[in-house]
Amino acid sequence: MTTSLIRWVRFALRNTLRNRRRSLATVTLTALGSAAILVGGGFALFTYESLQQAAARDTGHLIVATRDFFDREEDTPMQFGIEHFDRLRDTLLTHREVRYVLPRLHFSGLISNGDKSVVMIGSGVDPQAEFSVRGPFLQLKAGKLLNEDSAKGPDVLIGAELAKSLKAEPGSALTLLGSTTAGALNAVDVKVRGVVSSGVPDIDKRLVLTSLATAQGLLATDKVSSVGVYLADMEQTATMRAKLAPQLAPVTMRSWEEEAVFYKAVRGLYDRIFGGLGLVIGLIVVGVVAGAMAMAIVERTREIGTLRAMGTSPWQLVRAFAIEGAALGAAGGLLGALVAGGVTVALMFAGLQMPPPPGRSVGYPLFITFSPELALITLAAVSVLAMISAAVVAHIAVKKPIVEALGHV
Amino acid sequence: MNTALRDSTPVVTMRGVSKAYRLGEVQVPALHAADLDVSGGEMVALTGPSGSGKSTLLHIAGLIDTADTGNYELAGTATTQLNEVRRTQLRRNAIGFVFQSFNLVPVMTVSENVEYPLFLDGVSRREARERVAAMLTRVGLADRARHRPDELSGGQRQRVAIARALVKQPRLLIADEPTANLDSHTADEVIAVIRALCHEAGTACLIATHDDRLTAHCDRVLALRDGVLQ
Repeated sequence: MTTSLIRWVRFALRNTLRNRRRSLATVTLTALGSAAILVGGGFALFTYESLQQAAARDTGHLIVATRDFFDREEDTPMQFGIEHFDRLRDTLLTHREVRYVLPRLHFSGLISNGDKSVVMIGSGVDPQAEFSVRGPFLQLKAGKLLNEDSAKGPDVLIGAELAKSLKAEPGSALTLLGSTTAGALNAVDVKVRGVVSSGVPDIDKRLVLTSLATAQGLLATDKVSSVGVYLADMEQTATMRAKLAPQLAPVTMRSWEEEAVFYKAVRGLYDRIFGGLGLVIGLIVVGVVAGAMAMAIVERTREIGTLRAMGTSPWQLVRAFAIEGAALGAAGGLLGALVAGGVTVALMFAGLQMPPPPGRSVGYPLFITFSPELALITLAAVSVLAMISAAVVAHIAVKKPIVEALGHV
Repeated sequence: MNTALRDSTPVVTMRGVSKAYRLGEVQVPALHAADLDVSGGEMVALTGPSGSGKSTLLHIAGLIDTADTGNYELAGTATTQLNEVRRTQLRRNAIGFVFQSFNLVPVMTVSENVEYPLFLDGVSRREARERVAAMLTRVGLADRARHRPDELSGGQRQRVAIARALVKQPRLLIADEPTANLDSHTADEVIAVIRALCHEAGTACLIATHDDRLTAHCDRVLALRDGVLQ
């Protein structure tokens, strides 16, 4: 059986070389289609990975908070905050998979330079560790980042647009105005230590980052809003969530993905765009291979008649043509993967920049992620599509009466 | 004439076989009430002008076409009611074809072309190779086994086609103008090969031809005129 199949495969492969120019054209078009899928898909994958990183670095791989913090709106500041952050941190850091446990205290209010007050959205953070996890997703535009002494200043970092609005720069004195947990107004005088940008102008208009102690002082609380848990490996998120959740009750835990609204929206959009692209390219591959096979079959009509006369079953002939189609598809898929790999490498060295997406102020480097899984799936898909289209065309052809096929000129 | 291996058992038995083709609204009779018996090892030539029904008779005898009426038994098997699968099996097992234009598969070597019917029959690779080698030696092409058909002359190609048709020792050989595309010397060689191999294997031969040299070597010559076997 195996020997028989090998012989049919050999027969089919030789047939692909009969009309080399046509086979080359078929393989080239299939390769271009496959490469388009892989480059487009690779761009989507790179975008997903970047957004995953941005989301996870912003919130932590796991976000620990009370159930109400996730599900309800607070009536007063820190109503649903977490107490005893230190104990929680100590518990979490006993796991070697946990790299950082960072507190976040979210607050809002006004920020003033004495002449002008604007709305701010602030976060009290660990002044040292916070900025090592943010990485490239928070750019320092002027001054310095917070450090362990920032609570003494106290210091703040403000968004670039906010700095422009308040005409503030590193060293400027500002006042934070907020409401305490008891509902009283409170004010803290701060000094601008640095100006930062998140890359989103609307966020930069309101952004204030300060030390946790400063924020707790403004709100007169020792609670934190939430805790970001940073793992050594993002892939461990689900495992660690299952492992940690029972130890942290009654506080709860969510993954970065559940809270990453923008990431999910972009992924949903790109999945539809590139899924549609893949479908269109798949149809093109079917058309190209079916056309090539139809021409090959017309040219070989007399041979089909001869083989049928000799006792070859229609199924055997359809299978031979299907193998031939699959071989052309596979060759195109492989070549397409090579082209996509080449494009991936070329982009690594080209240094091309994409323009800023809508709502953002900075562009990003144009890279694509070459995914072996996607390449294998594409290779399999174009091979199967080519095989099916060849089989369908052949199925119609082998039904032709043998006498008619033998008389074909 | 050497008839030592003639088998009196009929391989082909046709009774009242008729066939007509439809051309638009018109029925054109191609074969009318043909009765024919061909025994094992017997060479029967079918002659007649173009359109006389030679090819139709060959096609029906070769099970690549069906009769409208009449009965046809091939080696004792009634073929009239067979479905396409059984007809394909019967062609594979019992019939060899030689065509005017050789109809070799160009992507196969000479030995692969000859081996193809054995491959279809499920003959083991080793046995097939031995039989192919022996057959190619018989037709004088042992040294061309690895060549492709387009590297051979017309006569050599037809000898390959004959080897392919007879390698499985079929009960019936159908040959449609096997010498039409050959020069006289080559045609003589091909005729000799067909005759020798068919007689040795006891294969019944039904040959459509206009070639007098070929008919001279046949055991019987039957003329067809306007679809009627004379």
